[in-house]
Amino acid sequence: MYSKKILEQLKKKKIDIGDTITVKTKDYTYEGLLMPRPTLGDSDVLVLKLNTGYNVGITAESFELVATTSAKVETEQTEEPKKKGDIAILGCGGTIASRVEYKTGAVYPSITPKELRTTFPELEKWPIHSKQVFSLFSDDMNAHHWKLIADEIEQEIKDGSAGVVIMHGTDTLTYTSSAVSFMLQNLPVPVIFVGSQRSSDRPSSENKMNLINSVFSATKNFGEVAVCMHASTNDDFCYLHRGTKVRKMHTSRRDAFESINTKPMFAVDYRTKKFEELSEHKKRNKGDLISKKKLNDNVALVYVHPSIKPEFISKLDSYDGVVLMGTGLGHVPTGVFEAKNVKGIYKPIKELIASDIPVVMSSQCITGRVCLRVYSNGRLLKEAGVIGDDADWTPETAFTKLCWALGQTKKMDEVRKLMETNIAGELTSRSILE
Amino acid sequence: MKIGIEIHQRLDSSKLFCNCSSHIVEGDPAFTIQRKLHPVLSELGETDDASRIESTRRRLFEYQVFSENNCLVEMDEEPPRNMNRQALLIALEIAKQLNATIVDEVYVMRKIVIDGSNTSGFQRTSVVALNGHVHTSKGLVKITSIAIEEESAGIVSSSDANATYRLDRLGIPLIEITTDPDIKDAAHLRETAEKIGMILRATGKVARGLGTIRQDVNISTEGGARVEIKGAQDLKMLPDLVENESKRQLELLKIIHELRLNHVAGVKKSIEDVTSIFKKTEASLIQKGIESGSVVLGQSLPGFAGYLGRELQPKQRFGTELSNYAKTAGVKGIIHSDENLSKYKISETEQKHLHEKLGDCFALVVAPEQQAKTALEYVIQRANMEFVPEETRKANPDATSSYMRPLPGKARLYPETDVPPIPITEELLSAIGSSESLEDKQKKLEKLLNKELAAKMIKSRYLHVFERLVKIKTDPKLAATTIENTLVSLRREGVEFQNVEKALLDLFEEFNKDTFVKAAIPEVLKGMVKGASAESVIKVYRLQKITGKELKKIIEDENHDLKAIMAKHRLQVDPAEVAKLLKGKK
Repeated sequence: MYSKKILEQLKKKKIDIGDTITVKTKDYTYEGLLMPRPTLGDSDVLVLKLNTGYNVGITAESFELVATTSAKVETEQTEEPKKKGDIAILGCGGTIASRVEYKTGAVYPSITPKELRTTFPELEKWPIHSKQVFSLFSDDMNAHHWKLIADEIEQEIKDGSAGVVIMHGTDTLTYTSSAVSFMLQNLPVPVIFVGSQRSSDRPSSENKMNLINSVFSATKNFGEVAVCMHASTNDDFCYLHRGTKVRKMHTSRRDAFESINTKPMFAVDYRTKKFEELSEHKKRNKGDLISKKKLNDNVALVYVHPSIKPEFISKLDSYDGVVLMGTGLGHVPTGVFEAKNVKGIYKPIKELIASDIPVVMSSQCITGRVCLRVYSNGRLLKEAGVIGDDADWTPETAFTKLCWALGQTKKMDEVRKLMETNIAGELTSRSILE
Repeated sequence: MKIGIEIHQRLDSSKLFCNCSSHIVEGDPAFTIQRKLHPVLSELGETDDASRIESTRRRLFEYQVFSENNCLVEMDEEPPRNMNRQALLIALEIAKQLNATIVDEVYVMRKIVIDGSNTSGFQRTSVVALNGHVHTSKGLVKITSIAIEEESAGIVSSSDANATYRLDRLGIPLIEITTDPDIKDAAHLRETAEKIGMILRATGKVARGLGTIRQDVNISTEGGARVEIKGAQDLKMLPDLVENESKRQLELLKIIHELRLNHVAGVKKSIEDVTSIFKKTEASLIQKGIESGSVVLGQSLPGFAGYLGRELQPKQRFGTELSNYAKTAGVKGIIHSDENLSKYKISETEQKHLHEKLGDCFALVVAPEQQAKTALEYVIQRANMEFVPEETRKANPDATSSYMRPLPGKARLYPETDVPPIPITEELLSAIGSSESLEDKQKKLEKLLNKELAAKMIKSRYLHVFERLVKIKTDPKLAATTIENTLVSLRREGVEFQNVEKALLDLFEEFNKDTFVKAAIPEVLKGMVKGASAESVIKVYRLQKITGKELKKIIEDENHDLKAIMAKHRLQVDPAEVAKLLKGKK
């Protein structure tokens, strides 16, 4: 945004963004298109696109209008008519569907059905329809949006779509994929979340390969929530990870998503279209869809660390549930064995549970299984009623599962039972060597 | 004729958007990665012609990754770091030397390049200054803009379906200096390029060695079009390049004029599958193609007979132009009816059938069907241009050029949203180095050397070595003649140093200790070429200076005969000292 001073001058001279102007300084007179200002930097500096295409920032002594632009404002449709047997593509924003926005020059999450077809002509190979559900950075999404997405998926299934692909930002993608896995069970069609790490405004974006692989995979015979992302740094094949077992493990690489404590379900080759089964999975369900979409997201996810304060844990009593990311096998400083220098959090945990707030354990090791039976502090937690002994879930899946369980029941016993039962592949019975 | 030049010079600094070294080392890549690229819309909602054409090739790119020179940034697996401040300061310093106006805010742009030479599919580039100038013997040449940008990846191999690049040089900072079309003629072009090159080297902050500087030439002739010729590495080539291009445009204008006089109307698309004509062909190129699933498509070019064979530049015919357009579809080229078809072993009967089907003049393409079709569409498109097209062309080693792609447009540039704009603050401006200007440097050299040698030295790519040698108290004239004469004649004998600077510093540190004589310099250098130190070469080859008592004894042995002494001991004695001793005797 330009400063008030500049905006006033622009208004007075009837200059709009996109108009051709001349800018005078003491050394030189520049001519170019007036571009919008990014939020960073000096808001008195004009951004000009020179006729070479370069943008430069100039502090003007004066500036004048040369020619106005015929700015085109396109109002695009955001939904297409559907046909039975289509693959539905739902847009929720994120890098995969982002583009450089003309007005701000920033990467902006938006893709309309028309843009989708222009950008990915290969989609013509499959019967598809698409809809923009909303367009958000995934960091701004929460249980409210998981519910919206689950509603849309359920509607698509009812309307006869043969598969559903959801374009989603990558940062919190696995929260959504695991939440939806609990909300919609016995899936009759594949539900595939897809994102991209490189923005779609660059020719190297992996969005194309991820999306095409997702749509292709959505025609296959499996009935689970999956996440389809690059398997390696190469543009060769993608993995389809189970929605409850996948985690973003790198800030920026294409192959950031990994299956935790299990193998991916499938590998799909972009060039040869080979679709390979890597682990067990459910086929398309012939019976009725189970829809249990109620959530209670008044849940805290807490990273345990040395010097963590007991008062901090006590204050969690305003939540309806707590997930801990414990150390190692699922531990916390208890203070029971060295009370002199350690203020443990065992006591406040016990108090939370006593007041009917379920406390669930996961491990900050990410890979491996929680075990509360080996060391004394683990045994103390188990005795206190902490849920999660033997669980090999990711902290995020433990979190969304607790949100979901608390949406189903308020009773501690029933929450415990739901948490300890494998619902959507989040708990495995065997730890395999990968 | 209007001529402008773009000079790309690598800066002596680590990479522009990460902390990898720009120092390229020999060796094998640590591993390779494979990628695809596809075209995208610019911020103005347009795609660039040049990138759309490349994208029709759908090639697979393989990148060689080197551990010392590469990190996730070059692999396009991590956002760029902040712009390298040292490199930016060098660019600003050069901008000042070229009398240019520095912008108030630097915007990093993405220049779409989808031939695979950038893993991201774009080159990061920013204009840092505008409106500069250099003085030349034929007046001022204005500098349009000065940009700082990333070097591209180096090509290793390329085919229709694949291209392999090495990533070690990707991201090295480059400065791009673009002049206005103020250059008068071919000689002036060379002078301007040399002048700018000297100004760059005089800062002492640019990279040296083969491939660190490249020139692109912009030429437009009257009635013709603006053409950018890329990749002339040798200044000596520039005059021929200009002459050949002007000839090409002139010939094209003649052809266009004659076609018009002959009422040759536009070529209509009528692509025919003529594969069946070659069922029993002896033409191995066609036979092999058909065996591997290709088809032979033909397009009639009525009225073009005789023109396709017309020479535009040495060894480049009008047919070559059409063929180069076809090649952008990924095919190997075209066969046309102005060629001697028997040379491909296309039989008389086959030729007869071809003419029956396609008329007097035609072009053939052997390729997979879709590709062949696209290629012929490009041929039609080129044949129908009743003007000299604006193009980016590639300089060939023989100073001719070949079509690469249409001139890139504005749509090729959009903001790099991963790097915020960089304000040029007072603090940054005050941190700009103040290297000597070219004029000051020249004056200084003229004090140290005679005029002729000074003029040679200022142009030398080893100017910085000379300056270092003078700093360690080497006689300037000896340093200059060693660089300009001794090294040149040794090079002719095949004695070539990988690191001239290191060798000469070692040589003169030893020489300045007075351990050997001037006459032995070439011999010492010869001994040093495989990496030995000057000190050890002197010992092994027995080139130690003979002086004092030992020298007196030699004088006695040789009966005070200067000629005999020098004939035997030239490489070890200082003639001045001998002369002095002889004189003393008398």
